[in-house]
Amino acid sequence: MRIPAAPLALLAGLLTQSVAMNAQIDRSRPPAPGPAPAVNVGAHELFTLGNGLRVIVVENHKLPKVEVQVRFDHAPLAQGSSIGYIDLFGEVLEAGTATRDKAAIDEQVDRLGAYLTANSEGLSASVLKKHLGPMMDLIGELITAPAFPEAELAKARQRALSQVEQRKDDPDAIADAVGRAMTFGGGHPYGEVVTEATLRQVNREQLVTYHAKFFRPEAGYLVLVGDITAKEAKDLARDHFGKWKPAPRYVVVEEDGSETLPGLGPVRFLKQAKTPSGPRRVVLVDRPGAAQSIIRVGFPLNLQPKDIRNMAAQVMNTILGGGVFNARLMQNLREDKGWTYGTYSSLEADRFNGHFHTTAKVRTAVTDSAIAETIKELERMRQGRVSADELELAKRYMAGSFARSLEDPRTVARFALNTHLNELPPDHYATYLKRLEAVTAEDVQAAAEAFLHPDNAVIMVVGDKRKLLSKLEALSWSENPKVLEVDHNAERAMEQFERVQGITEKDVIEKYLAAIGGREAIGRIKDLRMDIAAQAMGNELQITQWYGLDGLFRSQYKSNGVTVQEESYDGERAMRSGPQGKRELEDMELGEMQFNGHAIPELHYARTAERVMLAGRTRIDGRSMLKVVAQIASGGSVGDYYDEITGLKVRRVEYRQVDDQNYTITTDYADYQPTGGVQFPRTITQYGGPMGEVTMQVTSITVNQNLQPAFFATNLPERVVEPYVEPKEENPLEESPKEE
Amino acid sequence: MLAASTTAQQSAINYSEFDLDNGLHVILHEDHGTPIVCVSVMYHVGSKNEDPTRRGFAHFFEHLLFEGSEHIDRGEFSKHVEKAGGVLNANTTADRTYYYEVLPSNQLELGLWLESERMLHAKVDQKGVDTQREVVKEERRQRYENQPYGTILLEALDHAYTTHPYKWPTIGFMEDLNAATEADYQAFYKRFYVPNNAVLVIAGDIDPVKAREQVTRYFAGIPRGAAVAQPQVVDPGPTAETRAVIHDRIQLPAVVLSYRIPPTGSADFYAVELVNRLLSGGNSSRLNRALKDQQQKAIATGAFSLPFEQGGLAILYAIANMGVDAQALETAMDNEVRRIQSEGVPKAEFDKLLAQLEMEHVNDRSRIAGIASDLARCHMLLGDTKLVNTEMDRYLALSPADLKRAAQQYFKPDARVVLHYLPASQKQP
Repeated sequence: MRIPAAPLALLAGLLTQSVAMNAQIDRSRPPAPGPAPAVNVGAHELFTLGNGLRVIVVENHKLPKVEVQVRFDHAPLAQGSSIGYIDLFGEVLEAGTATRDKAAIDEQVDRLGAYLTANSEGLSASVLKKHLGPMMDLIGELITAPAFPEAELAKARQRALSQVEQRKDDPDAIADAVGRAMTFGGGHPYGEVVTEATLRQVNREQLVTYHAKFFRPEAGYLVLVGDITAKEAKDLARDHFGKWKPAPRYVVVEEDGSETLPGLGPVRFLKQAKTPSGPRRVVLVDRPGAAQSIIRVGFPLNLQPKDIRNMAAQVMNTILGGGVFNARLMQNLREDKGWTYGTYSSLEADRFNGHFHTTAKVRTAVTDSAIAETIKELERMRQGRVSADELELAKRYMAGSFARSLEDPRTVARFALNTHLNELPPDHYATYLKRLEAVTAEDVQAAAEAFLHPDNAVIMVVGDKRKLLSKLEALSWSENPKVLEVDHNAERAMEQFERVQGITEKDVIEKYLAAIGGREAIGRIKDLRMDIAAQAMGNELQITQWYGLDGLFRSQYKSNGVTVQEESYDGERAMRSGPQGKRELEDMELGEMQFNGHAIPELHYARTAERVMLAGRTRIDGRSMLKVVAQIASGGSVGDYYDEITGLKVRRVEYRQVDDQNYTITTDYADYQPTGGVQFPRTITQYGGPMGEVTMQVTSITVNQNLQPAFFATNLPERVVEPYVEPKEENPLEESPKEE
Repeated sequence: MLAASTTAQQSAINYSEFDLDNGLHVILHEDHGTPIVCVSVMYHVGSKNEDPTRRGFAHFFEHLLFEGSEHIDRGEFSKHVEKAGGVLNANTTADRTYYYEVLPSNQLELGLWLESERMLHAKVDQKGVDTQREVVKEERRQRYENQPYGTILLEALDHAYTTHPYKWPTIGFMEDLNAATEADYQAFYKRFYVPNNAVLVIAGDIDPVKAREQVTRYFAGIPRGAAVAQPQVVDPGPTAETRAVIHDRIQLPAVVLSYRIPPTGSADFYAVELVNRLLSGGNSSRLNRALKDQQQKAIATGAFSLPFEQGGLAILYAIANMGVDAQALETAMDNEVRRIQSEGVPKAEFDKLLAQLEMEHVNDRSRIAGIASDLARCHMLLGDTKLVNTEMDRYLALSPADLKRAAQQYFKPDARVVLHYLPASQKQP
């Protein structure tokens, strides 16, 4: 039942008395704010130990706890063939020291009621003030004397392998991994994707070497925040890290500046930020039957935190999609269209390599529209000034976020750490609100022009390929492929086959023929008419196909009773007629019709296929399939998938040329029912072709109507054989070929 | 034990509370640490108050109540907040709906105006209804349908209840939302969005005397509604083990064990909470140590409660490591539960749980927004605001023997729901 279209006042008629009762306040407009409160960025202390370790202390005695962070700084490095050792590093670091095993460490942390988590950059912990001593004992040991137990590495690796396996079905994890890989590319530290193969390359030596190289006092910060004084912090830092002087590491520096570390091999640091490049392109990870598509539009950026344009860039991103509900993307895709629960953009300044990306999860049917609107919003940001209202809202919101962030005392420490790591001016955060206030609409547009690159965007979609492919092709500016299909590891999607022994392609086809009724029953069908109700691109189509003896074929497509296309093959020549007129089909197109123009094409492979071979065993929707590939004599090929249990053909994938365009067309067959003793599929769905997704219901099949050869006539004009003429030599000065 | 109690007293939250004549309960908490204020309203309405043919209505309504009011046009509600430098959001559970804004402290009155407009005369037009219905459908797809293991809670609730409205998920069902009419919206608003069914909490950089005066100006004129009765449904829960296999788009099997537990705030509820913590709080907890470290059967484990006011669920789950089947995982989980039931809990391990609680208690006080929602929860769902400072005593009153007894009484193998999540590819055609 539909809700009436009139505006609906919930409680209409009940509220008349409320106005009188609230006479003292004016409800019709928002109340004016009081005087703005002062925002104080808290203070920190910084000192350096004799070994170079810097200590940052922020005192805040409101709650009886202390937050501890240890952070080591180095340029990001690529992991090469052992992707994953940096990811596993933290997990194994906190799993053993010279004096404690994992169980003892876990027990100690939990007994103190503390939190502890380590990663490749260091660790962070949180503990009640009264337990700080024993917690610092543990932290000191973990940082300076980790054991990296082999057995714990094995366990962590096994869990990571399981997680890689799990990613296959986790669209968010896929979007993250593939999104990074496609934005930054392979070999870039931010673009590496952990896979089963790379995890198997990880060994303990790498962890030990990484620790020795990067966990060093001169590259480190110890941050203590909370219920602690500078004096206490100094004593703790000295006690636990003062005597820490790791041995120097043997490093081979190559001529090109790269380093080789024993146990780790060549270390490839990120030397240069990747910037937006290449045409707008589409990357698709197929998730058959997905309830939603995940969309990510992004590109890398050379934007450092110290870049003075970063403030305007962040204001610009806030207006576009960065956190506020009133951002353009959210208002457009959610509040106006109702396409998504939420859509956001993120513009990350990063000392080594920044990036931008938008995210949205939308229902499949509006995927391409949502991408188009997203791109449109990026372009609109570049092309025009934001309104005074938008600018005001973004600035007020960011000022409010800044104030709110100071509720957490760790923010003050984070500001101090950022100032050092990113080489910011010492008053960077003290002047934050002033610099924010100064941003103009012109600055915002300049930032959009500098940092939004829709023309170079990588559009990544995790969704249902069959429903999306043709729509996505239209959004790509890239050719060959228009849509790059990759798997959950960001590797080009390749079908995986298991070898089968003791079965040949002939066996598979014979089993299929037997499954649909057997050669004898099939042989009794001399001709066949098939009527199909199809849906394509939102239109209803009525398709009729006739199959005669010896591969004679004719088809007719009608829409609303009007014939929109006809095809026929008379045993020698083939034609297609449509709105653009009638033309003869030759070469690949002719070959395709000769190959496919049979009720059961498999019966004619001896004549129509150049080569037939069993590719192997694979799976579709969890069911075991045998794939047979047939190469068509005139070029192109088809792959047919036969259910290993039922013998029936359930899918065909063909590479076909239609009107000079190349397509990879997938056709699924289901709901087999008999006519004349032979099983034919009644539900046929097709995607990837010129019409996008086509669903077909076979409404009737009639056999042996005694169709005569004349019925299949092409009525093409007689062929005229033109004499061969020697081509003239071209004068290169007259016309130079255009560069494509 | 004493230590935890001392910490709780040290970090006690000051507050004052009063009722307006229309029944609106108001709680004020003053803290000048940061120049911000949180204004929140909790309504005592959730999915358990829904008509069984309008499942999901309470949550859908939460979306609609951002659409505007007599004086706030569509889309302006959030604009007022963001333009003031604030954030806003809301959430809905089976028991209550919660709205909040965090604003610079000089914008307190704006928050009061917005929340009083929402309570007094909310308004929504057809475009808003149509758009939000689509938005909620996308929320459902995003959170549940397109998420591996996303249906765990839905399945657990559905199997654990037979007649109680807790049976259906808060997100509801789209056919019910599609069927909603204007009369439904009016009736729901009139029945539940009344001051006598709400608590207003103001926390942060405020002057409580002035705040009380402002609250009265904005809220006192809102008419009291009829008393709201909570559903009285007797649903004793499964009397035998209920098992279900769910084929999901996953690679690794998962096992989910659900047990009916007593109402949030009851003495045994806290005992169940400690059993959960014993099983999965921290790396040294029993499920983590046994299943992840020692046996390497799982890559993730957890035990948590759905703290419903009429009795929720304890849910134990584990996701299998590669090559481990669901049955082996279930047996390993069972062993850990059985060990508590037969051997009890050593004192040292019990003290560890209290140390974790003590830390958590301190962390809960680190943000004004968290304190505000805790005050609202204690008043509305536990019936006593004071518990914001004394809830820790409920835990401290327990002994290791209580945990053993609670494990025996509530984690019964013959009155539970066992879900096996299996890869769809393992489904027999």
